[in-house]
Amino acid sequence: MTEEAILQGCLKNEAAAQRELYNRYSPKMLAVCYRFAHNREDGEDMLQEGFIKVFSQMHTFQNKGAFEGWIRRIIVHTCINNLKKNKRFNESLDIVHAHGVQVREESVPSIVQAKQIVECIRVLPIGYRTVLNLYAIEGYSHREIADMLDIEESTSRSQYTRAKQMLEEILIRKKILTKPREKSDWLVAMR
Amino acid sequence: MKESNFYSDDFEQLIRDKTEQYKMYPSENVWRGVHNSLHTKRKWFIGSMSVLVTGILFLAGRELIAPTVHPIAPRKIAPVAASTADLSKAITPENVFHAPLAAYRAAAPVNRHGPDAGYAAAALDPVYRGIDITISNPVLSQSDLSAWLSQVVKLPEHAPDLAVVETKNALAEQWRAAEDGHGQDVTRAVGELAAVHHDVSGESVGKDDNGVDAGGVSSRFDRPVGRTTDRSAGQLQKTRALAGMVSGKDVTDATGATTKADAAAIAEADDIQRINWLRDYAMNILPQSSKRGRTFLQLSISPTLNYRTLNGVDPQMEKFGMTNSGTLTPAPGLGFAVGGSVLYRLTRNLSVKAGLQFNFIRYQIGTYTINNSQSTAYLTQLGWTMDSAQMNRARMSNPNAAPPSKTVVTLDNDYYQLSAPIGFELRVLGNERLQLHVGATVQPSYLLSTSGYMPTEDYTEYNKQPGMFRKWNLSGGAEAFLTYRMGNIRWQVGPEFRYQFFSSYMSKYPVTGDQYPFTENLRSYGIKIGIVKPLP
Repeated sequence: MTEEAILQGCLKNEAAAQRELYNRYSPKMLAVCYRFAHNREDGEDMLQEGFIKVFSQMHTFQNKGAFEGWIRRIIVHTCINNLKKNKRFNESLDIVHAHGVQVREESVPSIVQAKQIVECIRVLPIGYRTVLNLYAIEGYSHREIADMLDIEESTSRSQYTRAKQMLEEILIRKKILTKPREKSDWLVAMR
Repeated sequence: MKESNFYSDDFEQLIRDKTEQYKMYPSENVWRGVHNSLHTKRKWFIGSMSVLVTGILFLAGRELIAPTVHPIAPRKIAPVAASTADLSKAITPENVFHAPLAAYRAAAPVNRHGPDAGYAAAALDPVYRGIDITISNPVLSQSDLSAWLSQVVKLPEHAPDLAVVETKNALAEQWRAAEDGHGQDVTRAVGELAAVHHDVSGESVGKDDNGVDAGGVSSRFDRPVGRTTDRSAGQLQKTRALAGMVSGKDVTDATGATTKADAAAIAEADDIQRINWLRDYAMNILPQSSKRGRTFLQLSISPTLNYRTLNGVDPQMEKFGMTNSGTLTPAPGLGFAVGGSVLYRLTRNLSVKAGLQFNFIRYQIGTYTINNSQSTAYLTQLGWTMDSAQMNRARMSNPNAAPPSKTVVTLDNDYYQLSAPIGFELRVLGNERLQLHVGATVQPSYLLSTSGYMPTEDYTEYNKQPGMFRKWNLSGGAEAFLTYRMGNIRWQVGPEFRYQFFSSYMSKYPVTGDQYPFTENLRSYGIKIGIVKPLP
């Protein structure tokens, strides 16, 4: 089934087309949710809510960009809205300079490649993790992140800087990055 | 700085790439949640149908296990008109059978004080004559009776209620007189008065201890009762004397009974007057005589699931796997039947019916398409002139052995029939409201059109040739259904089964007269939903 046919079917509220769309994009989107969420169950809840929004707002999609990107934006916003309901998330965003944040190294599983990095990201404090996810992975600017999270742009920048440093440390400790300051070495290690 | 930026960009790119590669597969519950949120109509439909079916089953179970004893529900007592004028308006020939007990006849503008008042009233409204009241509870106490009467019988404002009070007062006077030596007749009179209560309580609607008919007793209280009495002449004389004494103004005037009666006497007198009023004016609640016709119109629609049975397959063919189970994969298809019938009720439980019905029958066959004309030649050799342009062929072969290049297709075999069901319906269980019926019909049918496929003699292909299908056929139907009466309409729902007795195909080729080996019989299972309405 082509993407166009799926779109038309979803606009007609056809269950088969909706299922096709869901099958096609839900694995990637669950990975997105998982990076934001506290655990897998929360991630699935976010995914469900996000896809309901996707299908119910299908008529607002205009063929100006990638369909996947449109879905992804909805999913990310759903995740952010869910996180903002969490008190712990709001408190963590206030930590501008989170020196001395303890990382639960033991919770990082010794697996490789993509999942390893994702799990390392999930070890970060939730405020750092969110900003890192939005900036480094989802491609939002600090201005957009500040608007989404209701924080200052400078806060977003500083949180990102700290998040990146912390992630780097974790990756080094886990021997995923061997020589972080030398590009060729860690690239070789990863690729 | 530049190096740092370069490093930073690469680091972000690495993180981005690696996270993009990561995929997670959600559990099925996520999709169920999404689907249920998006398709609430379906959920509502299922919920509504569940409630409906549960309700029907509950009502059916209740009615079948503990059926209603009285088919006519107790009717609400209408407010009694405040005046005689209101009552006279309220009473019409149409509502006379359904009006409450105490709503009648007070409208008659008669003089209840006169000796002929009752007869005059009876003459005005002959419909009320001879109608008596029956109190179902025979163990009413005096207090209960009083309470009941005060609720049920609302006397009109202009009712001559003083008559009985005066009667009581007159009786009291007579009692006093009895103490002075005149008491025998009065004592008997009082006893007869008490007999009225006895009578109304239902214990005896005949004669009292003195052998005086209740109607006779009541006549002394100024009531128009036309019954015959068998009392003795002496008693009659005494009674008439007493009646004249207690009911007429003459007596009132003579006794000069204007003294205050005690509350108990007034209440008792009030009860007596209500009893009299009931005797005179009340009506039994009589069920309206059944004048329903015997002819009914039945309209129905049945979603059906259709199957076919193919006979005549050579066992030799089965060796090669060309069997129904191997090569042919017929699947049931959805169809429907819609029609109307006229029912004629022969007896209380048995009806016959005849009608017209349109049937859409569909079943499906899974096959593989091919592009050769072998079957055309084959059938032509057998003498059947086939229009190749109209032919659609589908190779029947074992799906497992089919080359991958062949396309799998599902053929719809559609039949459009007009049939005339003739049969009967028998009520086997139930009451006026809820009933269980069974029925059977024979249905001569005419094939209006078909897009069905028929197998070639070698049983390797399906061909579409409408001319080989039998136009006239005969089917039989059986059904069982529940009916529920709502007002004038009776709803019915239940399963039905329909079987086509003769093959869908002609038995012989029209040109050569050779035998066509296969026979096909259709059968349908459906849920029939219908309404039955009496015809004028």
